[in-house]
Amino acid sequence: MKMEEIEFKIAPESKIKKKPSYIKPWLGLKYLFKKPVTIKIPHEKTQIAKKYRGFHTLDWKKCVGCNFCGQICPARAIEMTWLEVDGKMEKRPHPKIDYGRCTFCQFCVDVCPTGALRFIESFILTSEWEEDTIQLFDWVPIHPEKFRKLQESYNDWRFPVEKIEFNKETKEVVYHLRDGEVFKFKILGYGIRPPKKQKGGTDSKPD
Amino acid sequence: MVAQSELIKEARENGMDLLPLDKDTYELFFGPQHMATENFSIILKMDGHRVVEAIANPGFLHRGFEKLAEFRPWHTNVALLLRVCVPESDVPETIYSMAVDEIIGWEVPERAQWIRTTVLEMARVSSYLFWIMGLSFKLGVYTAGQWAAAYRERLMALFEQLTGARVYHIYTIPGGVRRDIPSDRWLHQLKDTVEYIKSKLPDFDHLVFENYITFKRMEGIGVMNKKFALSEGVTGPNLRATGVPYDVRRADPYLLYPELDFEVPVLNEGDALARALIRRFELEQDLYILEQLLDMGPPSGPYQVSDPRLKNLPRFKVPAGDAFSHVESTKGDFGAYVVSDGKNKPYRVQIRGPSIAHGIRVLEHLLVGSRIADVPVILMSLDNCPPDIDR
Repeated sequence: MKMEEIEFKIAPESKIKKKPSYIKPWLGLKYLFKKPVTIKIPHEKTQIAKKYRGFHTLDWKKCVGCNFCGQICPARAIEMTWLEVDGKMEKRPHPKIDYGRCTFCQFCVDVCPTGALRFIESFILTSEWEEDTIQLFDWVPIHPEKFRKLQESYNDWRFPVEKIEFNKETKEVVYHLRDGEVFKFKILGYGIRPPKKQKGGTDSKPD
Repeated sequence: MVAQSELIKEARENGMDLLPLDKDTYELFFGPQHMATENFSIILKMDGHRVVEAIANPGFLHRGFEKLAEFRPWHTNVALLLRVCVPESDVPETIYSMAVDEIIGWEVPERAQWIRTTVLEMARVSSYLFWIMGLSFKLGVYTAGQWAAAYRERLMALFEQLTGARVYHIYTIPGGVRRDIPSDRWLHQLKDTVEYIKSKLPDFDHLVFENYITFKRMEGIGVMNKKFALSEGVTGPNLRATGVPYDVRRADPYLLYPELDFEVPVLNEGDALARALIRRFELEQDLYILEQLLDMGPPSGPYQVSDPRLKNLPRFKVPAGDAFSHVESTKGDFGAYVVSDGKNKPYRVQIRGPSIAHGIRVLEHLLVGSRIADVPVILMSLDNCPPDIDR
């Protein structure tokens, strides 16, 4: 190494070394008369940064189904899904996010060429234990404006859905949003290629 | 005795290795549930309350980062490799990004360099506060530990605003950083935080570093001499406590460190107390560096290199080549060696962590002859990072 050539500014020992004291430790008692730094959850709320990397939102109209998000995902949590809304098939596949795997790095948001995939600062994955367990392993993100509205009305950074119904036979998914709205769609298939149009309804990759 | 030797023989045939114990010694499993060891365990062979032999037993956090990194696109690896060191996750990000920058030949913009340096120093301060928390818990001075956790919270809030996450920032990427500084308000907040923590340092001194209990517990424990430290590859504060003035920020300067002014603390004792005092002094120096950086102010300009290839991140290819870069972390010399063969994934990523040197051989050596009550103190004075040992 070139250690000798470089000038080191070495701290004198007198600055580093300390002397043991019997009295000084008691000076910590002054903190008894100060305000605590802790906050009382849930009576007081934590402050979340504006651009906190939380859940995803997706503008379905902007999404072109390029699968960049699926390719960059370090945890392989994103899979492209072909969807049918109100009997009409979406022209492009949309990402489905598995929150059991997601690391919330949001590289998928960085690479999205059209800006369809975004994130919001909501981050609490747990449910309130009132309804059935929320299945977050097949989550097709909802529209950012809807998510934002729900977040602003409740302001508790929770997931916007109370209950997800998934019919394994018909592959129909029903999102019961927290404000009572119901959002229905049907999963036609997975993968980048469009599902084969067969009468039996077999998918290219079942389950 | 015949039966015992037969048992040992049988155990060896089945792939188990039993330690031969005599009647005076007993085996003690220290960790991984023990608070001091953090996902790490030591098998101690005890004679009364003295340690006769210590065997480090790592592997609880093995996730195979280096192999996993070979299957992921270049930028994505940042989200993986930062898990190598949890308390200061910016260090693995930065070394990986610096190595990739060197392979591509990118000139990182000045603003990105300023942000990277600031983030590294913030990570150092927060890591030292975390260490103070651990040390004071092990010494029994719980109050100071709670303070350190509270002050670290302020830095975490700043990280949250800057990077969008509290612990795993995933912020430094090849070619710069992911986001710009949110606002001037953030800089003011950082300045306030630095001043606040600086004003609280005397309190830490009173309670931890000038406390007679600390001196009684730590003086003359776990003594490491210069020759042993150099032969075992000890770096960082642990090496400086043995009298070697080696600091990567000075020996092999990177980012903005050549322009910054700070002192390298060196002590000759090599015991646990010397290591603790060196860390205490470095915390002060890091706050001083942050003050200098804030006085300097972030240079204007872009925070990322502009390259059209960056628009297609999954298929972003790095030309063939290799590079090594290292930075000074609070644990020691942290380095990454990255090899590219021209594809969209690295050919090999090798991480040179400091804790693997401190946590296995050095720890085993220092623990011999110590009392059982000193084991957590020695462990904490070395400041290991178990995920770095297992990797």
